[in-house]
Amino acid sequence: MDGAAYNDWRLTVLTPLPAWALALLALAAVAAVVLAHRGLRGEQRRGRRAALLSLRAASAVLALFLLAEPAVELLQTARVRNRFAVLVDASRSMGFPVEPDGPSRSAAAGKLLSSARAALDRLADRADVEWWAFGSDVAPADPAEVTKGIPPRAGATDILGALKGVASGSGSTRRLAGALVISDGADNAALADGLGPEARAELRALGVPVNAVSVGRSAPKDLAIERVAVDDFAFVRNTVTVEATLRARGFADEEVRVVLRREGAVVASATVKLERGRDRYTVPLSFAPDQTGTFVFTVAAPVLPGEVVTENNSRSFVLRVIRDRVRVLLVAGRPSWDVRFLRGLLKQDPNVDLVSFFILRSNQDDPGPQHELSLIPFPVQEIFGEQLRTFDAVVFVNFAYAPYRGLEIERYLPNVRDYVRNGGALAMVGGEQSFGDGRYGETPLADVLPVSPIDGTSMSEVETRFRLTPEGKRHPVTSLVPGDGPNETAWSGLPPVSAVNLTRPLPPGTGSSVLLDVPGVQVGGAPAPLVAVREVGQGRTLAVTTDASWRWGFLAAEGGQGNRSYIRFWNSALRWLVRDPGLAPLQVEPDAPAVEPGAPVGIGISARGPDWGPAAGKRVSAELVAEDGRPVARGEAVADRDGMARLELVPPGPGAYKIVARGEGGGEPATGAVAVRGAGPEDADAAPRPELLSAIAEATGGRFSALPGGSLPELAMADPEVVEIGRRKAVPIWDRAWFLGALALTLAGEWVLRRRWGYW
Amino acid sequence: MPSGPRLATRRSFLGGLAAALAAASLPRGARALGDASRLAVGHVQHGGNWNPRPSALRRLGWELTRRTSIETTNDAVPVRLDRAGLHRHPMLYLAGSGAMPPLSEPERAALRRHLQYGGFLLVDSADGSDGGGFDASVRRELAKVLPSAPLQPVPRDHVLHKSFYLLDRQGGRVLVKPWMEAQALDGRLAVVYSQNDLGGAWARTEIGDWEYPCTPGGEPQRETAIRIGVNLAMYALCTDYKDDAVHLPFIMRRRS
Repeated sequence: MDGAAYNDWRLTVLTPLPAWALALLALAAVAAVVLAHRGLRGEQRRGRRAALLSLRAASAVLALFLLAEPAVELLQTARVRNRFAVLVDASRSMGFPVEPDGPSRSAAAGKLLSSARAALDRLADRADVEWWAFGSDVAPADPAEVTKGIPPRAGATDILGALKGVASGSGSTRRLAGALVISDGADNAALADGLGPEARAELRALGVPVNAVSVGRSAPKDLAIERVAVDDFAFVRNTVTVEATLRARGFADEEVRVVLRREGAVVASATVKLERGRDRYTVPLSFAPDQTGTFVFTVAAPVLPGEVVTENNSRSFVLRVIRDRVRVLLVAGRPSWDVRFLRGLLKQDPNVDLVSFFILRSNQDDPGPQHELSLIPFPVQEIFGEQLRTFDAVVFVNFAYAPYRGLEIERYLPNVRDYVRNGGALAMVGGEQSFGDGRYGETPLADVLPVSPIDGTSMSEVETRFRLTPEGKRHPVTSLVPGDGPNETAWSGLPPVSAVNLTRPLPPGTGSSVLLDVPGVQVGGAPAPLVAVREVGQGRTLAVTTDASWRWGFLAAEGGQGNRSYIRFWNSALRWLVRDPGLAPLQVEPDAPAVEPGAPVGIGISARGPDWGPAAGKRVSAELVAEDGRPVARGEAVADRDGMARLELVPPGPGAYKIVARGEGGGEPATGAVAVRGAGPEDADAAPRPELLSAIAEATGGRFSALPGGSLPELAMADPEVVEIGRRKAVPIWDRAWFLGALALTLAGEWVLRRRWGYW
Repeated sequence: MPSGPRLATRRSFLGGLAAALAAASLPRGARALGDASRLAVGHVQHGGNWNPRPSALRRLGWELTRRTSIETTNDAVPVRLDRAGLHRHPMLYLAGSGAMPPLSEPERAALRRHLQYGGFLLVDSADGSDGGGFDASVRRELAKVLPSAPLQPVPRDHVLHKSFYLLDRQGGRVLVKPWMEAQALDGRLAVVYSQNDLGGAWARTEIGDWEYPCTPGGEPQRETAIRIGVNLAMYALCTDYKDDAVHLPFIMRRRS
């Protein structure tokens, strides 16, 4: 036998008898002894009793021994060679200094490992040493590179994830016996808020001691916008509060001005007085967005001297500013069916917040005592002065400015004109007090109206038909039903109008378009406009030169057509006036409102043609415009048959970018916005957290030390597992002749003594 | 919205109007207002005595023009419910004295459509009946025209009572009921019914005499009837305008 091949042994039994049979035999043996004991109760001589009982017991034991066939089993075993993982933090925060004016944390870690390399190599006797670099994930590392200092590039730190990855996976079937984590502890994943009970349980479940060396002593001087809390959207003209969290480390007694910018322009600011011993400040920044759309906002703190990280001093976000409701001011010169039906339509629209004023008295009337009337003063100053800009659209229905000299409404007409130019919307609806009949041709409103009123003329009072102009066939305002033919049919089926104010179209280049005209009413040899629109400055205007548009609803309903056309016309007109985004032919939307640095921005563009159908094959372009108005990336694409085009643009770096999309052949560009995250979690908080690493070591039975100043701790490691790896051999110990002889002797001895002492 | 500035007081308002007159920039009537743009009430012809007070609507129109900025045509326009052109007159007037023969089904359907699309009907009982005569006929017809909108008394605080005048009583040639009744559609009064012979209180001869005395209240009762007529026309043209929040503080002050 080659005894050297076996390095372990254990006792076993070789009997073919089943366990229950052995148990019965054992009971029988015990019974034999017990019977002997009972039979000897009358024996007075203790020596005799003891001798006989001993012989009976020895016989029972020997018989059992021979029946059980005991043996020694020789085994060949080995200790499994386990793994020991060295995990080195490669996240960006390791690039910060280990202490003020010291080397980087990464370099300090490299230096420690370099000096401790011999000690780590000695572990090779007990385990295979594996080297890993981790950040948001974990990957094998070259020990030579690690000892020189790993380049700190990873955008996040996930210590628990790295430990779990190394323990469970890595393609090895061997067990992890221990780990050494070298990090600044600035975890921003599962352990971002410290080692909670759940994380502690997960660590313990790994079943290995985690040794830790923390790198970095004190937080560097840093001012950061750590967090910005704001809803995804806000309502125009409603105050919205952006709650920024300012983190200041290493500063005291300084005043910091935090600003909120919308694409470069400051819209709100707040001053924070830094206090010693406090590092987080909540800064509310309130403002009321004055226009709808998607905008990039940036919260920024100044860069103070001595700051380690400057990228985290600003943080951008995208805010969609929408209307809560379209706010419309309706002013009517007298009660009429035209304003009655228009007001009813607007009033029923849940998306419209309507404020209306009707002039209920004329300048010659005599209704009786004022206190018996429900009339109110016309608040000219309020609605045409300070409140004007709070309206999305102003609608004049047969409203004259002139008769009320005491109110001096004409003084406010320049305000109304400027309101339009600055992005407001004005609709003038006809009547005997409107357009030229109301002498608007000589007022500032003539600068913005889509038609030229002919002052001093009177309305044409004939029932007359109207027609769509070429512009009207394409315009969303006059689109009653989809398709050119059906739309023309729909318009031609409407009742004629009964009166038309005399106006002229504006010359080309003024941004105006006549959408409907009246061939039966000629002004200067050309059909009088009936519906016209104009883009003027940043605003829009609409002219409806009749007081009979109500006939398109109520009168049409008599013929069984219902009032859908009337409702559709005025709804479209209002949506166009207030620039409802859904009415723009070109739409642009980024795939996500914010992207990580270096990632491309996916952009979807939807293009519609003049007929409002998908503009298949249309070339579209999109560019990213930086906060300073400079284009930084541009791309082109062709719309597919659904009118959709996709392209990707790569922003040059962190910041806020406006997306401007254009279609070939001009037209209004579409805009959107996207933010490229400037400060990732690594830059946001550069403070080392040795207490986290210490807690990890303590929770797992590992050892801990801290740099600078410390050294590699004595590494704790689980004992290697022993496994049987192959051969075994059973050496019987029962088949010796003297065991049988001894049994025969004890039985014979008892028999002889019993005969002699008179028991048989 | 807060109340207006000092300049927007009654005195300044009237001052402004006086100045406007003086300047004669837009004196009333100087502008040609065609009949198409004026309020022309459609006077419904039916099989009964449909025009018991022939001068009533003309007089109401005159009062509207005199008291308000509403411009009316000289006369109401007789309309038949089953003839084309009914919708040219969103405001209809249905009067009668004595029993009215039933409307035909097409007439009822046409009236129903008119009201459902935003029309307004004033029903005026000239015979002072209550439970019989015109009252019984018209209640029967209205129930058939708008079966889902039963006639209900108009509450005292309804906007109809403040659409121009602040009213807290009823008027008419007689006072059969101290309230008016109405049928509402979509929150709007589509039909208003008076049993107090409003037309009888409005009616005036060519030489300027009131045709009927008003009992029991005399001339104040007539004035109230005229004011109700003004408010009804205002309501037809402005609906709930006076319920807008901007008016409430002023109205509350004057009511108190």
